[in-house]
Amino acid sequence: MNERTPGIDPKLLEILVCPVTKGPLRYDAARQELISEKAGLAYPIRDGIPIMLPDEARPLEQETQAP
Amino acid sequence: MDLTSVRKAYQRYAPIYDRVFGPALNAGRMRTVRAVNRLPAARLLEVGVGTGLSLPHYRRDHRVVGVDISREMLAVAKQRVERDRLNNAEILEMDAESLAFADGAFDVVVAMYVVSVVPHPRRCLDEIMRVCRPGGTIFICNHFLSPRKAGIARSIAPLGRWLGWRPEFTLHQLLGDSRLEVINQRPVPPLGLFTIIECRNPAA
Repeated sequence: MNERTPGIDPKLLEILVCPVTKGPLRYDAARQELISEKAGLAYPIRDGIPIMLPDEARPLEQETQAP
Repeated sequence: MDLTSVRKAYQRYAPIYDRVFGPALNAGRMRTVRAVNRLPAARLLEVGVGTGLSLPHYRRDHRVVGVDISREMLAVAKQRVERDRLNNAEILEMDAESLAFADGAFDVVVAMYVVSVVPHPRRCLDEIMRVCRPGGTIFICNHFLSPRKAGIARSIAPLGRWLGWRPEFTLHQLLGDSRLEVINQRPVPPLGLFTIIECRNPAA
């Protein structure tokens, strides 16, 4: 992991959208993910680089299905 | 050429790209950057930022976002951003044909040596036009085949193929019926193998 506190510039977050739905993203600082609720995908931020590729994203299904 | 082979190619090139390809492509890159630097402070997107060779040269009041599909190239770019303390630059991994930016998010979009590498150049151009604001500026630096320079084009074809370019790619093939207005078109000296086109993004 990075020694620096990783983060995402608020100005960058404003213009970032989900590449699939072009809808808004929510930043999960703890998990270092950008969440697209509509697409059900969590895009990882690795070594400070957001990976905005659906193939690399974590599906959210398990969480929403959980009781 | 599909996305996987593009990524594989640049995975191979990442450690040597700056030394081997840097000089050959530098004139076009620096001229494009100088043209960008003549514009007022902008929200700037560089598609295909690669190892980030251009990043230190943008005026610091431009806020630069660089995207690329090659993780290995981006790792070099990220090191450069940190080493040179480029506080005005951000790096993201993205598919140039499916950008993760809101419509009109940028004043200026730059694509150098990209449009002939992506699997579907027109999709890439459509995405560039979408994320550029109406009236914004788009710079494309690329090799385009012109009938007069067919001889030279053939002579660099092996280099082009190695980089995954299409040596026979024409400007018309790229722009087609897009509503992009070419406001400036200049060959890059000394050989004029590459052309910088400056376009005005039409109103939505």
